[in-house]
Amino acid sequence: MEQNNIQSEDTLKFEQQEVLAEALFNSIGDGAIATDEFGKITRINPTALRILGYTEREMIGSWFPKKIIALTDNETPINLIDRPITKAFLTGRTIIEKTYYRKKNGQKIPVAVTVSPIMLANKPVGAIEVFRDITLEFEVDRMKSDFISLASHQLRTPLSAIKTYSHMLLDGYMGEINDAQRKSLRTILSAANRMNELISTLLNVTRIESGTITITPKTVNVEKIAEEVNKEHGLLASDKNISLAVQSRSKQPCLIKTDTLILKEVLSNLVSNGIKYTPEGGKVTVDIQSRRNDVLISVHDTGLGIPKYSQENVFTKFFRAHNVVKQETSGTGLGLYLVKGLLESLGGKIWFESTEDKGTTFFFTLPKSLRSQQITTEAMEHA
Amino acid sequence: MANILVVEDDKDLNNAYKIILESEGHSVEAAFNGQEALKKLEDFEPDLILLDLLMPIMGGLEFLQHYDLLGKHKDVKVLIFTNMENSPEVTEAYDLGAHRCIIKSWTAPQNLARVVTDTLENKAVSSTPA
Repeated sequence: MEQNNIQSEDTLKFEQQEVLAEALFNSIGDGAIATDEFGKITRINPTALRILGYTEREMIGSWFPKKIIALTDNETPINLIDRPITKAFLTGRTIIEKTYYRKKNGQKIPVAVTVSPIMLANKPVGAIEVFRDITLEFEVDRMKSDFISLASHQLRTPLSAIKTYSHMLLDGYMGEINDAQRKSLRTILSAANRMNELISTLLNVTRIESGTITITPKTVNVEKIAEEVNKEHGLLASDKNISLAVQSRSKQPCLIKTDTLILKEVLSNLVSNGIKYTPEGGKVTVDIQSRRNDVLISVHDTGLGIPKYSQENVFTKFFRAHNVVKQETSGTGLGLYLVKGLLESLGGKIWFESTEDKGTTFFFTLPKSLRSQQITTEAMEHA
Repeated sequence: MANILVVEDDKDLNNAYKIILESEGHSVEAAFNGQEALKKLEDFEPDLILLDLLMPIMGGLEFLQHYDLLGKHKDVKVLIFTNMENSPEVTEAYDLGAHRCIIKSWTAPQNLARVVTDTLENKAVSSTPA
């Protein structure tokens, strides 16, 4: 009798805990879905049902990846192996990602997803996913991008006029000028160029972050682009008595199919960084090596170098090394973050080697032939 | 020397391009939006059109949609002169038959003159003049 009483008390306690767990699960403000070790849905809370537009009956017992379709940006279903829930099962780790889900009515919604495997004795026995609808965040982000884009274009128009007329004066379109006037015009141009670079950076960062950068592939001669970039930086380099060079490791011209403007932007950023952070009398060298499927380009400087403790942050937004900030106050810390994003949009990779007070070499690769879903047209020019 | 139509809504820039191109010996007409350009083209036969994209009343893309560059006017060269690099609008302009795109704020006058000459001579040239 006493034994029976203990048992029924335990059962009651267990049932109470179950009810409490259910209540907790259902009270989560974000969508929550639990699965067993095979990915079958065992629990789903009202918020998840509301976001996805299904009923509990339709979801319980369904196979998660089949019932809830995850989509890429361009509406293609994401492969099972790339789904956060699969990654969580395979790695045993919590996976945090942004993706798109298709609602029951077919509508695509952006969601922020966190999936954790439920581990028991070091084995996954299920998974729990918490997700939220981030449509509003997406919209605000898009509006921010549109605003920056528009503002940048508007800023550039008067800047173009300042630059064009300064150049016209310098080039003698309005008659002869004296040395003092020439010097002043160069100062105006240099400031306008800095402003232009800032606007370009801001625009490109916005495009990279919003995924709206457009890529136009053309056959380009890499050496020629590097020479052009060096030429553009000639004045800056000669002011510091820094020599600029382009080295090519093959006799044939290095021709690749990529986006010229983006390649130029990347090289320009790296060369201008090299000049900026190299003491007087130093050297900045661009080295080009054509390989079987890609081209390896490096930009080497004999500059300040990046301190070891800062190296892991080099490609993060707004990063500026301490030794650099001490000597050079201007700079946004966006350049290398942008370079990495731009290269990734071209299917390239970037890394570096650096020794403090000796110099830095940035290496990057670009595929010989760019393939991208974003490519919609091909320009007519050839290198 | 060539007949050139400059389509640019910014008066200062429009005037600057006219001075630069005329100093090279070209005959230059100016329009300040796409609609004005179409009107000018009723009695002006250009060899090359220098075309801005973002303009009031009628922008560069809409102008290209009206001006049959791929058919009737296939001998006319169109140089897109814009500050909208890497944008979908530039890609669309190429689709509509534009020959080249150059970035206003990166292009010095002498380079503009060079690009115009090279385009008229149908020379393969680097796409991003300094």
